[in-house]
Amino acid sequence: MSAALTPDPLDRYSRQVRFPALGEEGQRALMNSRVTLCGCGALGTVLANHLARAGVGHLRIIDRDFIETHNLQRQILFDEQDVADNLPKAEAAARKLRRINSTIEIEPVVTDIDHTNALALMGDADLILDGTDNFETRYLINDAAVKLGKPWIFGGVIGSEGQTMTILPGETPCLRCVIETAPPPGMTPTCETAGVLGPAVAIIASFEAVEAIKVLAGKKEALNRDLIMVDIWDWTFRQLKISGLFGKVDCPCCKHRKFEWLEGEMGSHTTALCGRNAVQVASRRPEPLQFPEMAERLKGVGEVRHNAFMLRFATEGYEFTVFPDGRAIIKGTNDIAKAKTLYSQFVGA
Amino acid sequence: MPVVRIPTPLRPQAAGQDKVEASGATVGEVLADLGRQHPAIQERLFDGAEIRRFVNIYVNNEDVRYLEDLETPVAEKDEVSIIPAVAGG
Repeated sequence: MSAALTPDPLDRYSRQVRFPALGEEGQRALMNSRVTLCGCGALGTVLANHLARAGVGHLRIIDRDFIETHNLQRQILFDEQDVADNLPKAEAAARKLRRINSTIEIEPVVTDIDHTNALALMGDADLILDGTDNFETRYLINDAAVKLGKPWIFGGVIGSEGQTMTILPGETPCLRCVIETAPPPGMTPTCETAGVLGPAVAIIASFEAVEAIKVLAGKKEALNRDLIMVDIWDWTFRQLKISGLFGKVDCPCCKHRKFEWLEGEMGSHTTALCGRNAVQVASRRPEPLQFPEMAERLKGVGEVRHNAFMLRFATEGYEFTVFPDGRAIIKGTNDIAKAKTLYSQFVGA
Repeated sequence: MPVVRIPTPLRPQAAGQDKVEASGATVGEVLADLGRQHPAIQERLFDGAEIRRFVNIYVNNEDVRYLEDLETPVAEKDEVSIIPAVAGG
């Protein structure tokens, strides 16, 4: 037997190992690292794609949503078959990524990140990545990352512009130092109201990904310390200096270590999904829902179908997508109270 | 005269412009002049005399919160930027 016949696990990464600033040592660090990716939509699919190909050893991909046709314009890991199969995003991404790189561990988690599960989902990670589309989850990630002392990377995109910053708790300003509060609903555009270009998302997510590689490979000196802003329509690139905010801002999170989002004082779990005419109703259950029994119960009142990941049910002009953990997305209303009523009527209290 | 860079979501309140010239020797004075020219922006930026907490103001590339906030001096060729948080993704 010749040892030479055994392929070197580093071979598949040879083109990035040859990049001197990363090298073999950096590659081995990537292969031994764990990342928690929060959200697997537009930013998240680009991030997951980069990191899986780069050889990050363990990738936990968390997403609460399922795939719709209008996602395919920019969410690069999904295709029409995934829509037809009613797959949740985390599961579809994991299936695709396993075909891309079978040598790493990919752990899809279909859930809504909230104050009850954030620390458990992030506690074992070397790095946390923002692939979300809302500030509620970002402030929760920020609380968890600061509490755990773990680096995380923020990214946000709208239209043709985006922002990103790298947060090293105890060394750089945190998200709440820089953006003290999120704009109230209606005061800020969302991707649903203002649109979003795929290339803009891909650029911001790629910036996040290269920062991730630096963090995991231990190349801290090369990290971005600014708030980066890019607009690909009018060709602006700005590096706004934020490091002076560290310690200067009276930050409840990183200065006073008051974790309002993590303690559940801030944030709601039933939320209107802006611009989608849909509401997410969260109702955590100790046991997973039994879809075959539910389908049996609901088939007299509307059209119902299910797979292992979700049950979809349409009645009275509303469409319910129910997940095993009890969470549901109800299409056809923006009214939270109405959605809660519908949930208790058809899913159960 | 200093120039204020208007972010995309506020351009409808500034007659569609991405830059507006505004006079003043401090950030507060420049933004007050912007508000006089485009009153609809005033309300979006300020809650009474305070800048709304979800709006950040930069002079050139520096955040005014580690300078002198609204008292931060602004020179003739300086650029004042209104930077909103970008939510999507």
